[in-house]
Amino acid sequence: MRFTRSRTLLAAAGLTLAGALSACGNAGGSDSESTDVNVEENAADSFEDGTRMKELAQDGKITIGVKYDQPGIGFKGAADDAPTGLDPEMGRILAASLGIDDQDITWKETISDNREPFLQKGEVDLVIASYSITDERRQIVGQAGPYYVTGQQLLVKKGSDIKGPDDVKGKSVCSVTGSTSLEQIEAKGAKARGFDTYSECRDQLLDGSVDAATTDGAILLGYAAEDPDNLEVVGPTFSEERYGIGYSKDSPEMCQWIVDTLKKAEDDGTWDKAFEATLGKSGVDTPTPPEMDACPSS
Amino acid sequence: MDWLADGYGLVLRAFLLTIELGVVAGVFSMLLGVLLAAARVGPVAVLAKAAATYVLVFRNTPLLMVFVFVFVALPKVDIPQLSFFAKGVLALTLYTSAFVCEAVRSGVNSVPLGQAEAARAVGLTFGQTMQEVVLPQAMRAALPPLASVLIALMKNTSVAAAFGLIEATARMRFFTNDNADVRTVIFLVFAIGYVVIVELMSAGAFTLERRWRVAR
Amino acid sequence: MSLTAESPQAASRPPGDALVVLDHVDKWFGDLHVLQDINLSIRRGEVVVVIGPSGSGKSTLCRTVNRLETIDSGTISLDGRPLPAEGKELARLRAEVGMVFQSFNLFAHKSILENVTLGPVKVRGVPKAEAEEKARRLLDRVGVGAQASKYPAQLSGGQQQRVAIARALAMEPKVMLFDEPTSALDPEMIKEVLDVMVDLARGGMTMVVVTHEMGFARTAANRVVFMSDGQIVEENEPETFFTDPRSDRAKDFLGKILKH
Ligand SMILES: Nc1ncnc2c1ncn2[C@@H]1O[C@H](COP(=O)(O)OP(=O)(O)O)[C@@H](O)[C@H]1O
Ligand SMILES: [Mg+2]
Repeated sequence: MRFTRSRTLLAAAGLTLAGALSACGNAGGSDSESTDVNVEENAADSFEDGTRMKELAQDGKITIGVKYDQPGIGFKGAADDAPTGLDPEMGRILAASLGIDDQDITWKETISDNREPFLQKGEVDLVIASYSITDERRQIVGQAGPYYVTGQQLLVKKGSDIKGPDDVKGKSVCSVTGSTSLEQIEAKGAKARGFDTYSECRDQLLDGSVDAATTDGAILLGYAAEDPDNLEVVGPTFSEERYGIGYSKDSPEMCQWIVDTLKKAEDDGTWDKAFEATLGKSGVDTPTPPEMDACPSS
Repeated sequence: MDWLADGYGLVLRAFLLTIELGVVAGVFSMLLGVLLAAARVGPVAVLAKAAATYVLVFRNTPLLMVFVFVFVALPKVDIPQLSFFAKGVLALTLYTSAFVCEAVRSGVNSVPLGQAEAARAVGLTFGQTMQEVVLPQAMRAALPPLASVLIALMKNTSVAAAFGLIEATARMRFFTNDNADVRTVIFLVFAIGYVVIVELMSAGAFTLERRWRVAR
Repeated sequence: MSLTAESPQAASRPPGDALVVLDHVDKWFGDLHVLQDINLSIRRGEVVVVIGPSGSGKSTLCRTVNRLETIDSGTISLDGRPLPAEGKELARLRAEVGMVFQSFNLFAHKSILENVTLGPVKVRGVPKAEAEEKARRLLDRVGVGAQASKYPAQLSGGQQQRVAIARALAMEPKVMLFDEPTSALDPEMIKEVLDVMVDLARGGMTMVVVTHEMGFARTAANRVVFMSDGQIVEENEPETFFTDPRSDRAKDFLGKILKH
């Protein structure tokens, strides 16, 4: 089933619906708002001794860092039990392959700044947090993937003069302080306006304090979908963001497991379902999953 | 240190904005703070009450909340839109002037009553008495606490990092985001920048303090 | 120059018209009736010494005359006009009434010269150079001309009090009020201040002086006013008052201070 082009009022209900309709004997009987994944039984047996995957499978617990403020990607409302979005879906798929149920996943909010420290200190086992793959980051943490490719775009008030990245010169454009998006819009001659969260940016845009907001198109679509009468995403993408899954360099063996697991999900349609249940709701077509990088030979 | 070689212009510009915010907000905070202090110790009960209320509100509100108020709540009312810099200065001034007021007031209280009486006896008006006799002496007594308030202000400018102003702390976050491998170094470089600015301020305050002490 | 007065000739000056008049003045500090129906008239050129036990209201009386303290009833007038209540008018009045405090109250952050020029420049709008020239003359007159560029804390108490007198004189006041001007001074400095005051009295300045210095009263005063418990109990010319007080309270008081 596809939610393509469906309108946003249905979004919240849709999330539940997606989980319920696709239910088919999900182990553990979780009622969480997520796509259905098959939790492996006796998963520990399939991993070699000494690997991090074996440890996690034996413990039956995993801690995953995701964002809580990006609708469609990683979002958790104050009243929600668990985060929703494409990133948590990827986390569920990976956890399931270790035989770990939804309720045994510990979600931890990560912000852009603490993704590396969390991995390095072992506070989380995985970071799945709109975490663009870059060479600098790969020097200190592992990044497997990409599992999704998006690009920077612009969110404006309906009817704005700004139609694309060429129109931002001299305009105030908002994004999250310190983010690559803000830096790139600054390079295009815009006045960079950094705030702590994307929702603050949206508010600045709505009250006219800034002329546009910018970040990965996927995130912007989420906001546009929430307020289609006032906001729209304009222009082509002007960067390529390749979302990867962060893991600690202490456990390089995790890379191949992540790639293999995601590949299987892509092949058997689980990835499509995950996308449709999350980002797909903002009205975009489900894309072909991207080609993943080869893991570094360790 | 590639990041610094490529980006030192950005680093300097960011610290320049930090200093601009600190200096402009500092000047306005001093002006407003001294006026508030004069109102608090002055003979007009309504003004004294208003100033006391102002201090109560802004001294006890976290700076972050003042920023949220200025950046999120103010734009919703129909007043002319301020620039981001002006809003940053406004938020910092609203907050800091309350502390300036209290520092100056403590200074005023340390000036013996006889000084004001002598000034009034000579025929100075209340304003002249404050301006010529009480405040100059009060400022001397208030200099150490004032220096602390202004130093705190300089560091408090970093709150603006989360409100659209790319000052030093915001710029640091760009660099740490891009160069995850050398975060500690980046942090140290920016911390040293703040330390240098604050040390210069302390040295200035110390020099003034010494010069004024001789004059007594 | 010598400022010492050898003969009590001030007492023989002819009386002028009334300059300061207190008429049925009452003042309370909360429940304390600190000034009780005070009637006092000071003529132009007259020197009045106010004497009395501590807490009797002498300072308060002094301070009401330039309205550093307000009164609750009655009237005070200066040179025929009632004291203005507030604002610029009041500031102008204060400029015409010089005041010298027990604790000097020189402006601590200003040089001696600036202490004396501040009033003329700020209140009267006298050009700075002119004010300084006059200030130097006054400082010379009270014997501290050499200290003009120093700060108050660098001067002795006696020197500071003489500067305070010069500061008041710089405003060319119609009347000078002295509230125990020598009480905070070491004995060896009392004379240098009293000498200046005697000289002023001789020069015809109208003065109200709260003091226990009987020598000064005898030398320079036309009249002694004795206060007790917020009332003027007795007034007389100095010699008579000190040798032959009429009231019991005055006798009692004089008995106490003469023992010391
Ligand atoms: N500001 C004030 N508030 C309340 N009481 C005062 C104040 N000033 C003086 N008094 C009281 O008024 C009385 C007279 O004081 P004062 O005029 O200073 O007396 P004196 O100068 O004769 O010693 C004293 O009992 C004193 O405690
Ligand atoms: Mg007294």
